[in-house]
Amino acid sequence: MKKVATYCYQCVAGPDLLTVKVADGVATEVEPNFSAADVHPGGGKVCVKAYGLVQKTYHPDRVLRPMKRTNPKKGHGEDPRFVPISWDEALDTVAAKLADVRARGLVDESGYPRVAASFGGGGTPQSYMGSFPAFLSAWGPVDMGFGSGQGVKCYHSEHLYGELWHRGFTVSPDTPLTNYLISCGANVEASGGVAGVWRHANARERGMKRVQVEPHLSVTGACSAEWVPIKPKTDAAFLYALLHVMLHEAPREKLDLEFLYRHTSSPYLVGANGFYLREPATGQPIVAAALEAKETHVSLETGADGELLAEGSLEGETAFAKLVAHMKPYSPEWAERICDVPAARVRRIANEYLDAACVGQTIEIEGKTLPYRPVAVSLGKTVTNGWGGYECCWARTLLAALVGALETPGGILGTTVRLNSPLSQRQRSVRSGPDGLMGHPFNPTDKAHWSAQPNIRNAYRSMVPLVGDNAWSQALGPTHFSWMFLDQTPPGLPRVTLPDVWFLYRTNPAISFWDTQAIEERMARFPFVVAFAFTRDETNHFADLLLPDATDLESLQLIRIGGSKFIEQFWDREGFALRQPAIAPRGEARDFTDIATALAQRTGLLEPYNAAINRGTLGVRLGDFALDTARAHPAEEIWDAACKAASFELSEGKEANGLAWWKEHGLATRPFPRTAWYLFPTLAVKGLRFEMPYQERLLRVGTELGRRLHEHGMTWWDKQLAEYQALPAYKDFPGEWEQALVAMGGALQDYPFWLLTSRSMQYAWGGNVGMQFIKEVADNVAGHSGVILNAGRAKELRIEEGDWLEIATPKRSVRARAVLRQGIRPDTLLLLGQFGHWETPVAKDFGMPSMNSLVPMSLELTDATGSAADIARVSLRKAA
Amino acid sequence: MTTWAMVADLRRCVGCQTCTAACKQTNDTPVGVQWRRVLDMEVGEYPDVRRAFVPVGCMHCDDPPCMHVCPSTATRKRADGIVTIDYDLCIGCAYCAVACPYQARYKSSEDAKRPDVATKCTFCVERIDAGLAKGLTAGVDPEATPACVNSCIAQALHFGDVADTTSNVSALLAENQHFRMHEELGTGPRFYYLWDKAP
Repeated sequence: MKKVATYCYQCVAGPDLLTVKVADGVATEVEPNFSAADVHPGGGKVCVKAYGLVQKTYHPDRVLRPMKRTNPKKGHGEDPRFVPISWDEALDTVAAKLADVRARGLVDESGYPRVAASFGGGGTPQSYMGSFPAFLSAWGPVDMGFGSGQGVKCYHSEHLYGELWHRGFTVSPDTPLTNYLISCGANVEASGGVAGVWRHANARERGMKRVQVEPHLSVTGACSAEWVPIKPKTDAAFLYALLHVMLHEAPREKLDLEFLYRHTSSPYLVGANGFYLREPATGQPIVAAALEAKETHVSLETGADGELLAEGSLEGETAFAKLVAHMKPYSPEWAERICDVPAARVRRIANEYLDAACVGQTIEIEGKTLPYRPVAVSLGKTVTNGWGGYECCWARTLLAALVGALETPGGILGTTVRLNSPLSQRQRSVRSGPDGLMGHPFNPTDKAHWSAQPNIRNAYRSMVPLVGDNAWSQALGPTHFSWMFLDQTPPGLPRVTLPDVWFLYRTNPAISFWDTQAIEERMARFPFVVAFAFTRDETNHFADLLLPDATDLESLQLIRIGGSKFIEQFWDREGFALRQPAIAPRGEARDFTDIATALAQRTGLLEPYNAAINRGTLGVRLGDFALDTARAHPAEEIWDAACKAASFELSEGKEANGLAWWKEHGLATRPFPRTAWYLFPTLAVKGLRFEMPYQERLLRVGTELGRRLHEHGMTWWDKQLAEYQALPAYKDFPGEWEQALVAMGGALQDYPFWLLTSRSMQYAWGGNVGMQFIKEVADNVAGHSGVILNAGRAKELRIEEGDWLEIATPKRSVRARAVLRQGIRPDTLLLLGQFGHWETPVAKDFGMPSMNSLVPMSLELTDATGSAADIARVSLRKAA
Repeated sequence: MTTWAMVADLRRCVGCQTCTAACKQTNDTPVGVQWRRVLDMEVGEYPDVRRAFVPVGCMHCDDPPCMHVCPSTATRKRADGIVTIDYDLCIGCAYCAVACPYQARYKSSEDAKRPDVATKCTFCVERIDAGLAKGLTAGVDPEATPACVNSCIAQALHFGDVADTTSNVSALLAENQHFRMHEELGTGPRFYYLWDKAP
């Protein structure tokens, strides 16, 4: 028996470092990598999903040979009639298609890439696809904007606005220090991975009070000190009321006035037209002498497109003063009517937060004295995406800023950057921008540079300035446009076309996107689909080729670990970990790197492919260990070079350990300073301010975007343009989904329930849904066998545990068994996870539906960032 | 005298079932058999409701009802407190499964790895014995610690010797308020639940 060190990165809360026991060439058991206990912030433990890897490897329904479709008709009810073929035939077929594309031009008549690729959420497939990114890089333009969940259904507003405000693509409490946490729908016990669970357990035992605000009592609510059962999608009202209490009821000195004045844009003077007053000579915003002031200065007020709105002796009011006036109407009594949370409770929570903020206190970390502000607000999915997402993210960031808990010990931290570079070094991504604020790579909205010619089908560059234009931006645009506009492209955009070739890996949009039936119908029209396949599933049902890659325990890859990334993944170490074959690949499955190399060879792209690897596409620049670009290298050779380069980087040139060393040791790390978790000191040193509370930049960008769109006859984005407010007002966010119901022909009284979803930790990100082992243990957690509804409400409706129910919108319906619980609002239904499988082995027999098929895909429900939310108004009745 | 015990900290458990999975894999239990599992419980009525996660399994009782009803003497209690089943002696009558107030025992099927016998949590006794033989400390060194404890991602599960006042589990019991399940039955379960700091 031997133990092989490797990692699990099946969801973004990874990587977990583990060992696999192998006896006689058979993988038998997963264990934590006990040697990583001091390296990993979760004690080196491994989440439940990784324990399914053994069964995944030996799954009886694995695709073990390349297969081709023999039924040219595609459709839900069409049997693809896959038949086995050789690898040579499979690769030749793909290469021939790609050669044809290259001959006809890499982009089509609409200017869109003819090749598209979709990968599963959060970039996690990259930790399994070996050198395939180097092949895509060598290929040229690829449309990676066909959504399968990312973009529309992620923490989208947090990603975009969080990164703008504090390099917080993902945002986390500084859990090791936070003492008071308001968690609006954030389900960290299910979604925060091992590090999240471990740290929050420590925090609870330490005495951190967590107030869980959400319509149902999630596992995180269960582990919280208090549950506030708020009406769905009204979180912004709750947060606004907290701000109201802090600004209008609490003594001003309870706030961190120093932080607000010195480190935020609060003292900037705002002119009569809503833009900053600026020094005539420098164009810089004028900073008032006090936080709350009206001052008159000889100044300029410049609006969108550089338009001079006013000049001379102008009166301005500080951004903070405008904020105070803006929040006046949002009292706890006002919020009570919207949120169904008693005003007294809102007020108490606001005051508890203030009392716990420790304004004025400091802490010493690694010899540096920093502000100590142990209070935080975390936001979950459906709160941070779709209409209301902007308002919630703004309110949350402002709640931190008011007490100086933004990027300071104990407060809220951005833990990842994705739209700025360098991706792996958040601190270095801080660059000076205009107006004494951090720079952000907005897509241009000025007349000279805005483009009505998108580079990919979801048009992120034209429609969403905030999302920037790097490798991640494609997947963070309005990814449903690629699907939705296939039938009818709105005026101003080139006609959305089908890609000639679509690559799929570890993604299943036919299950995980919204309006999944509509997705299926469109997918069936794709002319040539290549799916790297583990088993058959609902998306590769429409594929032309299935290619079996060697799976988690069978293949080779080196990844970066540690540093700061994803929500709770901020570590005290950083380095690399190796995934290595614990056993030989089953059947004819091939290492993904070897597949990528073979494709590069067959398409004549070997040289640029190797060059891309040398440049650092594998996550580390190869430098002195660069590959000979003229020849094909086996996977072991490629990763040996990567291992040496990684070792060289980690040891600052002292070592160059190759693959053999990494296979033996599994990982290597070096310290990552804790002070690097906090951005506040970096901004302070650079003399930059956090852009809070007033969003002059967004107002300017939104105004310009509106002008550009209108100049091109594009009025269909007007509703979204209204989101660009400098101080966002509360809107009737639940009303958006109520209107959607009415638009579908429903009457509200006939569809009285709010249908929500919630993370299942056991199935998070879906890659293990076909494991009997996971199903068995997941069923111990309520909600995995049906729809959760309030037991009292069920009694009124004469529904009993286990009854078959029909959940419906006017357009579609699903069936689920009743799971009766007390921990859910009487007006709310909950379907855990994303199921509804009809092809994936094992999962298709669960009898568990998904809300995804019920949520309409519509422009009306799309916010300005291009995102929507998992929520729908539905009816409920006993099924016949 | 060594007395092995399990301690579950209810403040820390998140019901993730990682222990359930680790136990199943380490002990290779059949489909549907969970020597360790975590209950997902609710108490109260909306909106005054609490949800709690409670790890359960064989309690390795001081006075195990399962042992008393065993007609073949297959179920025994070791000097260190671990309740064992000798599969060679077990006749699979399942009296013990009925007698156990903790529903911790399973009667295996004919085609199981351990066919037609009663099975239950062993506290990973082989692992403990092998670890101790190497001079390791159970509950501290992973090689001498039950798989469920090793796997716990919340540090909710602990294992050790409650007879040793300096052990990890003794410290936890001294520092925290705790209870045992169905203590009124007099079985003397060796599975303690922590729920708050000691006053």
